Amino acid sequence: MTGRQAPLLSVRDLKVVFPTPIGMVHAVDGVSFDLEAGQSMGIVGESGSGKTVTAKTLMNLLPSYALVDGSVTFDGRDLRALSAERKSEKHLWGVEISMVFQDPMTSLNPVKKVGEQIAESLRYHLGETRTAARRQAGDLLEQVGIPEPGRRLDEYPHQLSGGLRQRVVIAAALACEPRILIADEPTTSLDVTVQKHILDLLDDLRAERGMSMILVTHDLGVVKGRTDEVMVMYAGRTMEEAPTEEIFSRQSHPYTEALMETIPKINSAGHTRLMPIPGQPPVTTSPPIGCPFADRCRYTTDRCVAQGPLLEALGDDHQVACHTPVGTPAAETALAANAARGHTATGLEIHHSGVPVGAVADGPAEQV
Amino acid sequence: MAGRGTVQLRGGEDVILRVENLVQEFPVGRHRVVHAVSDVSFDLLKGETLGIVGESGCGKSTTARALVQLPPPTSGRVVLDPDSGNEVDLTGLSGNDLRDVRPRLQMIFQDPISSLNPRRRVRDIVSEGLEIWSDGGIGTEGQERVDEVLHAVGIDPAAAASHRPHQFSGGQCQRISIARALTVDPEILICDEPVSALDVSVQAKILNLLEDMKARYDLSLIFISHDLSVVRNVTDRVVVMYLGKICEVGDADRLYEAPAHPYTRALLASAPEPARSVGVADAVLGDDIPSPTEPPSGCRFRTRCPLAIEKCATEEPQMQQLDGDHFVACHLPRV
Amino acid sequence: MKLTAEPPMDESSEVVKARRLGLGFWLPTGWMILIVGVALLAPVLPLKDPTDYFIRPGERPPYPPSADHWFGTDQDARDMFSRIISGARVSLAVGFMSVAMSFIVGGAIGMVAGLVRGWFDRLASFLFLVLLSFPGLVLVILIITLIDRSVLTISVTLAIAGIAPVGRLARAATMSFAEREFVIAARTLGARNSRILFRELLPNVVIPMGALVLLGVAAAIVAEGGLAFLGLSLEKGETWGKLIRNGAGSRVLRDSPWVAFGPITVMFLTLASINYIGDYLRDFFNVRETGLGR
Repeated sequence: MTGRQAPLLSVRDLKVVFPTPIGMVHAVDGVSFDLEAGQSMGIVGESGSGKTVTAKTLMNLLPSYALVDGSVTFDGRDLRALSAERKSEKHLWGVEISMVFQDPMTSLNPVKKVGEQIAESLRYHLGETRTAARRQAGDLLEQVGIPEPGRRLDEYPHQLSGGLRQRVVIAAALACEPRILIADEPTTSLDVTVQKHILDLLDDLRAERGMSMILVTHDLGVVKGRTDEVMVMYAGRTMEEAPTEEIFSRQSHPYTEALMETIPKINSAGHTRLMPIPGQPPVTTSPPIGCPFADRCRYTTDRCVAQGPLLEALGDDHQVACHTPVGTPAAETALAANAARGHTATGLEIHHSGVPVGAVADGPAEQV
Repeated sequence: MAGRGTVQLRGGEDVILRVENLVQEFPVGRHRVVHAVSDVSFDLLKGETLGIVGESGCGKSTTARALVQLPPPTSGRVVLDPDSGNEVDLTGLSGNDLRDVRPRLQMIFQDPISSLNPRRRVRDIVSEGLEIWSDGGIGTEGQERVDEVLHAVGIDPAAAASHRPHQFSGGQCQRISIARALTVDPEILICDEPVSALDVSVQAKILNLLEDMKARYDLSLIFISHDLSVVRNVTDRVVVMYLGKICEVGDADRLYEAPAHPYTRALLASAPEPARSVGVADAVLGDDIPSPTEPPSGCRFRTRCPLAIEKCATEEPQMQQLDGDHFVACHLPRV
Repeated sequence: MKLTAEPPMDESSEVVKARRLGLGFWLPTGWMILIVGVALLAPVLPLKDPTDYFIRPGERPPYPPSADHWFGTDQDARDMFSRIISGARVSLAVGFMSVAMSFIVGGAIGMVAGLVRGWFDRLASFLFLVLLSFPGLVLVILIITLIDRSVLTISVTLAIAGIAPVGRLARAATMSFAEREFVIAARTLGARNSRILFRELLPNVVIPMGALVLLGVAAAIVAEGGLAFLGLSLEKGETWGKLIRNGAGSRVLRDSPWVAFGPITVMFLTLASINYIGDYLRDFFNVRETGLGR
């Protein structure tokens, strides 16, 4: 992020709370980030991390009972104020900011021809004629790599394979030349051999059109080598934000580190003992005062429990919300102290080697 | 893809399960048949973990169900202890004879929620196997066995006695499923995508648990997954399937280090973190995925294969041995 | 060794439960308890004889509501209050009995058909189709004119009309659960069909069927009323349908509406309560089923 000119999209201290019968669910708990024109960003997190709710907020797709706080500014316009007015800005969402969802089958209308579904938004938002819209729908299908686009225009979604369907969804999302494309788990329901094609396609289209993109995923592997920046979310908060290569080469948050270690590697030997993350995420109805990862982290100190770390710059473009970022002297001191006393400040048992008990080879399974 | 042939089968007393020429077809509408599994053969050694990988529609889950005869396969044999002198051919059994051998093969599934009866208490679910095989109550011995297994998988027996499945997390439900399967002391545990529905931080726990349980209860595992990294981690031998046929079989190390079939190479190259043994070019595949009701002639993979030649359309490749425990069904294997 | 101390969703689901069953549930439930209780206890309650004629010399019945006759009397000066309670005994009995029979028969056929499939399923589906296609009213009239018009025959007749819709629902529900992995797991453990039917499927199928039970009771009560209008209800004794029909003549309605409105009001409140309770229970159990942990 250069910061010289105003970013295309700016999110500041976003909070989203859902009132439910079991209490207030703090789905997003103070998230801030900027997205420059032409930049691509990955939002990575597990289920319950708030990544999808963040995306839905940008897309104005939250249910009306959700309580939202903070600011979302797009190209100088306050999106939250616009969403409150509703009518006046119907040509913003779906035109300038557009979204691709996880399941292509549910985002397409099963009883409408593919061509009509794409042409529809061109006619509605841009006021194009029927023939012009159809011609452009054909062009779009070609651009997203669908063979024989002319024939496909008149087919129904069920006649297409999963990969082709997702290409149609992408074509529809691109129809009005959005400036930001939000892709929420765009390849999770697809096979691996198709997944790579779709991700490459999205990246190529982004570069070609100078569009910005937000790629929301649970899979760190998906953003690797694809996005400019990655934001790692956990329990509704941002844990770490950094250029993508740095997330993989020099991750600073213990959660990011733990996430990397827990994933089986295709290139490591068979039967390599995996390193699970001990414990469970905090209950979203009562977010902790301190760091939400403190219960599961091997570096946890008393300070982590007492005071939630803020997102702070750790170097150029690298921000982390941690009192003891991995690789700093603070982390080494904390880990050495925890290993020496056998447990962390939250009572998580630690081996003298610094590995949480339960992650080691012969230990009994601990709870999920 | 081919795969006809049975050269990949190993012999010997160590073989605990042998699947020969398994075919599973389902009628759809009039005169149309889904060729879900077509002539698949493999075997499983005692104490081995066999991985079956492939994308959706390749027949890997159908194969798993056919092994436990739910439903029984259209043709082919599923034989327990084939070379021991007292072999049991599951496909030839029915009624009580089949029921008697059922506990030897147990299964766990992808969906942790759907795997457990929502209306029953967890302890009752886990005790079910013992209850089926006992007259009346399961007795103190049975209760102890249930406690022991619940402990082994990391579920508190007290919580299990009073709670129903929806009160547990996905990972915990998967542990309960594993416990249910273990109470009847199975020899073979078939795991059908056991971690695909779980968050990555939970996946590792379940995979570690499966390894622990395999050692503790002397299990042989069949591990079905679409995730090549997961399969790499837990298996000893791997079967790669495409559209109801086997493409490649072999020792996991060999198969990942020197994949010979273009489809295996594509899978390894398409993974989010590609395998070292393949290049970017290997991931280039056609998008034209054929329907299992009308599989292509010759090699079933030819419509997407970057190397396909005329012969692939006319002649189905036979399974051939490459070196040691590594077999491939392809006219143009990469060696 | 660290074990799961407490399942995560426990407390919260209790909260959901407590909030769900509010006044909207307890009000209709209270009414049902009252009406069923009074109907059951009618023989020991100090009620007037529903067949007695309380003719006041010099006055022409029907008499309007008074302290003596809370709901007034009918054209023959019989006490409406005790007649409505007497009618409740029959109407509710017909409602519950016919539904019990149709659920036992239809539910059993439907569940077995959904589990075993094959020829039995084809036969059952054919039977349901025939029953649904045959005009229900004609069937009912045929049976009760051929036999007699007692509480039992009317209940059986209405039960037969209910078998097909109940059976089809049971079959569909069974099929949707029979494909779930927990049923496959039970089979791999060695469970027989009977065990799968009673232990695995029945507790699940009972839930969607439960809401239908109450709707069925309501429908049977209404159907009995329909028969009464055709003059085909019970030969002897009172039912709500017969009472309403008795008061539904245009002159009676105009001059002495209480004769019809008493039974109409009671019947309406009962039917509304049953339907409300059914809806509440359905929502309540839906929450229990889908309120799954992470």
